Amino acid sequence: MKIDDVQQLSAWLAATDIDLLELRGPGEHLCLRRDGARVEIVPGDALEDGPEQTAVATAASLGVFLHGHPLRGETLASPGTPARAGQVLGLLQIGALLLPVTAPAQGIVQAMLVAQGVTVGYGTPLVELRLL
Amino acid sequence: MIEILSASALATVQDLGRPGALRWGVGTSGAMDPLAVAGGNLLLGNDEGAAAVEVPVFPFQVRFTADCAFAVTGADCSARLDDLPLLPWWTHEAKAGQVLQLGVPRQDGAWRASRAYLCLAGGIDVPQVLGSRSTQLRGAFGGLAGRALRQGDMLRAVAPGAGRRMTDFGLVPPALALPLEADGLPAMRVLPAAEYDRYTEASKAAFWSEPWKITAQSDRYGYRLAGTALEPVAAIEMRSHGIVPGVIQVPPGGQPIVQMCDAQPSGGYPKIGTVIEADRWRLGQAPIGSRIRFVQTSWDEAIAALEQTQRWLDEARRLVDLYRGQGARS
Repeated sequence: MKIDDVQQLSAWLAATDIDLLELRGPGEHLCLRRDGARVEIVPGDALEDGPEQTAVATAASLGVFLHGHPLRGETLASPGTPARAGQVLGLLQIGALLLPVTAPAQGIVQAMLVAQGVTVGYGTPLVELRLL
Repeated sequence: MIEILSASALATVQDLGRPGALRWGVGTSGAMDPLAVAGGNLLLGNDEGAAAVEVPVFPFQVRFTADCAFAVTGADCSARLDDLPLLPWWTHEAKAGQVLQLGVPRQDGAWRASRAYLCLAGGIDVPQVLGSRSTQLRGAFGGLAGRALRQGDMLRAVAPGAGRRMTDFGLVPPALALPLEADGLPAMRVLPAAEYDRYTEASKAAFWSEPWKITAQSDRYGYRLAGTALEPVAAIEMRSHGIVPGVIQVPPGGQPIVQMCDAQPSGGYPKIGTVIEADRWRLGQAPIGSRIRFVQTSWDEAIAALEQTQRWLDEARRLVDLYRGQGARS
């Protein structure tokens, strides 16, 4: 990404009421924060996940976060239970489509970070895991 | 591609049937829940009408003899791939040697259903007969050798490895998106049929207001229902005439029979109504022993119901295609 692009993105951001713009690409990570009319670059390490013992499953798409399959009464994951890497911990519903929210690594489910049925945006942290 | 491990002999290969074949006196056959077949095929990127295995008796087991993408739709039967529990209405990737087990359909969920569908990438590869791969049990043609599947049967997928398909996503079952109930019971919309007006007022009222139990004498040919006996004003005698799946006949005992996918193309009993095409999948999934209700409808509403179903399918296809497109780019 060129510095011109960053300036352009900053100008666009300044004209909106969006507070944070985060772009991720192969080998690239840009985060811009708007503070009133001022836009500043957020240093990369300021946004990293907290202590290394936890991992967070995030939303890979916009959608409605579901704790369980709509046909079933039970939840897919509950705090205190173990999860394999890749295990489905929740679902994102986009109309008729259901996408899996999977565990990024093996661990113990620590907390559901978003309530059942809430609409979430791309990248929203959904489930926290304590790594083993 | 898959080997049938179960001894139960009631699973059949079905697609969306031969709707035009009645003109030759050939029954339509086809899946009892065509929406489940269409949904499973959508998940795999198949044509909506690709053939699948319809499973009415559980547990049911198959072994994959080659890597293959598959989807399980219809009843939520707590499917497992080896030890891994699978979500219902979901697409997965199987490796050669893995065993898929479908258990007894769950009765505690949001939808009580009785038939599961196993769809394979590209569809099940059996010869087309009269434009369909559906098993025609009465005529002993179509499907695999015109019969139900047996232990040891092998079925191939049309395109098991055609591109690396995206798997591990699902659809919200249409039973949840298109619900229909009357007084808490699953309902089906019904058009009054030719002999409707020849029944007593009390019988006509009971037909719409009483629950009907699906008896154990119910299968792909027809569902025998139990409830308040339906009585004609005067005895009705008729010659045999053409009938279609969904027709509700009333034999002399007054306990109705709903003709289903393997119905013969003609019959002589009087007809009190017809379950509309758009709601036949609801009846096709209603378990034996469960109770259902009939709701009176009109021709225009019946057409609108079919269009609503098609809109659900079109929207599901659009979303699945968008998601696949994203996956292909990333």
